[in-house]
Amino acid sequence: MRALMRAAWSAFEMSLRLRVVNPWTYLNWLVFPVIFAATGLFMLSSSGIDRVAYGVLGGGIIGFWSVAYLDGGNAIQDERWQGTLEQIFAVPAPLLVIVIGKIVSSVLLGLLAFIPTVALAYFGFHAVLPALDPLRFAVSLGVLTFSFFIISVALTPLFAVWRWAFTVLNGLELAVYGLCGFMFPVSQLPGWLQPVSYVLSPTWATRALYASASPSPNAGIAGWWLVALGLSVAYLALSVLLYRYVDVRARVTGELALA
Amino acid sequence: MPPDPPFRHAIEVAGLRKVYVSKRGTFRRTRVENVALDGIDLAIAQGELFGLLGPNGAGKTTTVKILTTLLLPTSGSARVLGRDVVTETGAVRRRIGFVFGGERGLYWRLSGYDNLRYFADLYLIPPQVSKRRIPELLATLGLAGREHDKVEGYSRGMKQRLHLARGLLNDPDVLFLDEPTIGLDPVGARDLRLLVRGLADDGKTIFLTTHYMFEADAICDRVAVIKKGQIVAQGTPGSIKQRVGEIGVVEFEVDALAPEGLDRLRALPGVSSVVTAERELALRVTIHCAQPPDVMTQLGKLLDGVTLHRVSSREATLEDAYVDLVGESS
Repeated sequence: MRALMRAAWSAFEMSLRLRVVNPWTYLNWLVFPVIFAATGLFMLSSSGIDRVAYGVLGGGIIGFWSVAYLDGGNAIQDERWQGTLEQIFAVPAPLLVIVIGKIVSSVLLGLLAFIPTVALAYFGFHAVLPALDPLRFAVSLGVLTFSFFIISVALTPLFAVWRWAFTVLNGLELAVYGLCGFMFPVSQLPGWLQPVSYVLSPTWATRALYASASPSPNAGIAGWWLVALGLSVAYLALSVLLYRYVDVRARVTGELALA
Repeated sequence: MPPDPPFRHAIEVAGLRKVYVSKRGTFRRTRVENVALDGIDLAIAQGELFGLLGPNGAGKTTTVKILTTLLLPTSGSARVLGRDVVTETGAVRRRIGFVFGGERGLYWRLSGYDNLRYFADLYLIPPQVSKRRIPELLATLGLAGREHDKVEGYSRGMKQRLHLARGLLNDPDVLFLDEPTIGLDPVGARDLRLLVRGLADDGKTIFLTTHYMFEADAICDRVAVIKKGQIVAQGTPGSIKQRVGEIGVVEFEVDALAPEGLDRLRALPGVSSVVTAERELALRVTIHCAQPPDVMTQLGKLLDGVTLHRVSSREATLEDAYVDLVGESS
């Protein structure tokens, strides 16, 4: 067990070091979230305190999601290009352990996206969240982090086995912005689309996060945490099957190598 | 970890077959099957340095990838140290090392030391062991003093030696080397061959693939020649050479030669292969045949109107033996 934890830590450390020297990482956690946050704040700063939260936090959530989800997949693509994907696949440490280490580094880097967006809101737009409940906000952010972490861990093996998966899931990254209510409430979506939102764990975590930052009544917040956690656990269970499938599939097709 | 089951050979392969399935076409997708391995059998003793020779696309890398648990065979069986490479992957991975040729497969933005430390953790090697083993390997492989430089600054030979260090991190009983000297300069390649031979002398079982006959001849205890997924010869390098020992070689150069001319040469009695190679201003033709004098007397008649230069006859070399077995024409 200690050896597996050391392998995960090593994957975390290696992934963090490689990301620090990769300019793409800075675009995801620093530049893009600020653009989204600025757009949101321009549109929402005069729409009342409930909506301002979407401007202040929306860009950060988008940046957090992008780094946690896309950088995790990108790390696998990078391994393929470097020719190291086969090497890490054929070591005694299970692929899941290595992926967990990599995704933890993505998630921690992703959290940094809140720094520039909140700073922009405060210094650039004088937007504040006076009704923010620190305890509920912290728990909601923890649930959101867990939700992003599980989704990234679950989907990363797809990047390993299908080269085209990155392109498809790249498109889904944008869809999730709307479906999970990152920049506006899910209730704004068409009725037929809302059920899709409800099976996505970030929807509930995001809803709880905004509720904890707004003065509106938020009696259901504990229930939203539980739904987000429950859905995440369900994804985790499905991902076990996915990892088994990928292990076989990769060894049948030889897709881990470029040639 | 449970003890190894009893086994007769370090590597045992029986009827191994691998078929890759792919799709062709954009709108009308058709299923295409490519047979990479077509029922090969191998038995490699513990401590043996075994070479698998063959041209590009013959099935060498596919064999190595199956034996290192990276690929599943379509049928047949393969065991390493008595463990099934399909169902006992964890046990196999702990006991083997592998090195693929080329410069990729390393983290170029990190130092050589960091690369080794990372893989040592992924191989679940206790830190107290890796702290001792990594400097030993760096010293053995001539990388000491440069271990904290980024890999991107290493020469090709240094990268290949770092690959070998990575492959040896877990002190494997069986080491797989897939074309390890590809792209290396002659001195670097010779040094690497000496290192590999030394590892075999220390008792490690080594499975080496190469398309250099002289390399296999220099260091291998036994070799097999693979062609289009099938083993066409197997034995000691000496016995492989003897199989074609009766063959002679006729060589000549021409300015140009039509395909029909080559076909007429191939149709001559006793000719086993005709190989062409582009030179700067000429085409060099090499004919492997049973009776060189007979072929030489017929050259003028068969290639009427073609001016022949530097016509000569000689005994077969190791390279000729290999070319004769794989029947390669370029």
